Amino acid sequence: MIIDVERLTVELGGNPVLRGLSLAVDAGEIVAVVGPNGAGKSTLLRCLAGLQPVTDGEVRVFGGPPVDDAAFWGRVALLGDEPAWYPGLTAREHLELMAAVHGRPRLDVEATLEVFALVERGDAAPLTLSTGQRQRLSLAAALLRPSTLLLLDEPERGLDAGFRGRLAELLGAYRDEGGTVVMATHDQALAACGRPVSLSGVTT
Amino acid sequence: MSGAGNASGAEHAGRAENAGRSEHAGRSERADRAEHAGGGGAGSVREVRGFLRARSRARSTPFDRYVTGFSLLVLAAVAGQPVSEVLAGLATSTDPARAGAGLALLALGLAAFLAAARAAGPVLLTAPDASWLLLSPLDRRRVLGRTGWALLAVAVGAGAVLGLGLLAALGAPDQLVWRALGALALGVSASVGATALAVLSRASQTWQVWLAAAVVTLLVLAVVAVGGQARTALAVAASAPLAAVAAAASGAALAAALLVRRAWAALGRIPAREIAAASTRGGHVANAAMGADPGVLTWIAEDNHWRARKLRSRSWPSLPAPLALAWQDWRRLARRPGRLAVTLATAALPAVLAEAGGTPGVLAAAVLAGGLAVAATAATGARRDADNPALARLAGVGRRPALAARALLPALLAAAWTTASLTGLATTWTTTTLTEPAAGVHVAAGPAVWWPFGLAMAPALAAGALRMARRSPVDHSLPVIDLGAGGIPLGPLLWAVTGLDLAVAGCLPALVALASAPAHPGGHLAAQAVAGAAVLAGYVLRSGRGAGQAT
Repeated sequence: MIIDVERLTVELGGNPVLRGLSLAVDAGEIVAVVGPNGAGKSTLLRCLAGLQPVTDGEVRVFGGPPVDDAAFWGRVALLGDEPAWYPGLTAREHLELMAAVHGRPRLDVEATLEVFALVERGDAAPLTLSTGQRQRLSLAAALLRPSTLLLLDEPERGLDAGFRGRLAELLGAYRDEGGTVVMATHDQALAACGRPVSLSGVTT
Repeated sequence: MSGAGNASGAEHAGRAENAGRSEHAGRSERADRAEHAGGGGAGSVREVRGFLRARSRARSTPFDRYVTGFSLLVLAAVAGQPVSEVLAGLATSTDPARAGAGLALLALGLAAFLAAARAAGPVLLTAPDASWLLLSPLDRRRVLGRTGWALLAVAVGAGAVLGLGLLAALGAPDQLVWRALGALALGVSASVGATALAVLSRASQTWQVWLAAAVVTLLVLAVVAVGGQARTALAVAASAPLAAVAAAASGAALAAALLVRRAWAALGRIPAREIAAASTRGGHVANAAMGADPGVLTWIAEDNHWRARKLRSRSWPSLPAPLALAWQDWRRLARRPGRLAVTLATAALPAVLAEAGGTPGVLAAAVLAGGLAVAATAATGARRDADNPALARLAGVGRRPALAARALLPALLAAAWTTASLTGLATTWTTTTLTEPAAGVHVAAGPAVWWPFGLAMAPALAAGALRMARRSPVDHSLPVIDLGAGGIPLGPLLWAVTGLDLAVAGCLPALVALASAPAHPGGHLAAQAVAGAAVLAGYVLRSGRGAGQAT
């Protein structure tokens, strides 16, 4: 089991966001966390990444509590809000940086640019890309690097309908290689490519 | 028109807190008339401004105006005494070499003012004005009139400082008051003219060329002044008769007035896209200032620059993971060779400051501040990772190795800059002491002895720059320390000294040596080498403790 969450409760500013949530995710599984705004999807992902202290309950990733250190991030790729792009680097160079840092990337940089339809914009600074293109670049960086667990917060954000379908295929390929995906999404078609887990939100 | 007026009246009638329905309806009608006037005139803009002012929640009361006026009077009374003392101290002739260095600093200051005015806009509106009034039939020059007055006020303030600097550089062998007035007139004329030039450069390409020419001329003037070629001219200027000073001031004022007149005429021709872009920048700056988080400004400046640049990807070198991550700063630096050249050229400034009469303490502070600023220009990656660690997490490099790798470039730059500036300083000191033995500066520590301090200071400066880049936003929840004469907000204060503290602590032996100029600074150098290395190593090790990721 990759992820084991038991009776997770999280309060933010005194307000309960998650209460008594349990979740188990096996290796090679895609889990789509769905639910209305404010249901706690992003909070759950942050808990899995070790970035959100829990009020009660237990979160175990790879058999232990998630620790915000280099060894953990060597196995986990997290994509939430748009990252801050390094100034002075092109889109292609951001991917090359990721490949150089990880040594043995999952995908080749040129192939990644092609898969994510960014070849024409490879020499552009990320800030000059459209919102959807920047999201594709973020996804490309997350999928190019090697990882065991992929945590995605609304990966469909800004993507056109055609590429959303392509994303489902890419996540399927990642799972077929043995990777595990947990994503929060509002896209029903994307959610359908994995096991949906519904969060209805905490009523007080 | 009446329909619009009735609609407005009905809207206001629903607001119980607004007394006088008919009055509001009348105002709305006037505003509608102004908006539909099609090109309008002075009256149209005035009415719109009046309409907005009448509904502003932050309307100034007579009491507010009284407080503002009283505060200005108190400020004038408090500042009057020290300023008059400074002026009285200038009633003497100055050495031509010192005058040349002073004039060079003034020329550089004016060039920087001109560049800053151009970069800041300078014609910008508040965000609501840019949204609602700019793209309207209202007369653009009148809409921008308020901005014009604000620019004039800023230029006059900067000009007064420039004038005082001119007087300090040239001295006043006689007729102090008249020479001071002449210097102030020259300074204000120069800054007002520069601002007008910056405004004009927004309206036409031709004026952009003139602005660039003015900046280049000022830079050449600075080089000539500090090089000593203009000593005769400076000596003549310093002892010029009052009639010549009056003629020069009148000529400068006339030229500035002509430029202001042209700029005022050009206000209406500045393209809306230019004003909108400048206003957006200004809005970001205002937000950063309101939040007292100047770190945001660095982000904005960087992003604006790279958004406008055309880049070409180059393959990433094969390096160990931490160095591969840090390579981003090296590549960014290599892509701005002009900025790098200007940065390294500023290493001459401490020597110019020494020539202008700077005390050893001031010079030591200048070397520290310069070295820290130069190191900070290469710490952008650390700043990004600290503010938004998403990419750093994707990279998955440990915090300590990442920080150690990111310290290399700031250390290298700081070493180059401080070594060059100390070499320049030592040369200046040697010359000054040989020509002015009474200056009290030792010559025992010549260039060959001083420059290693630059290398020894570099690690501490890199640590300070990294700490500065990675500091958290200002904590406004911290208390205000009451010192009797006024309060000091602890949050901004702590924010301001974060990074500087480490640099000062790590460079203390060098600073003491620079300020006291010992005959044999070998002990100081050894202590500096140890302190610099220890501070950087300690910072990297300490930053790796606890939870966190490659920031």
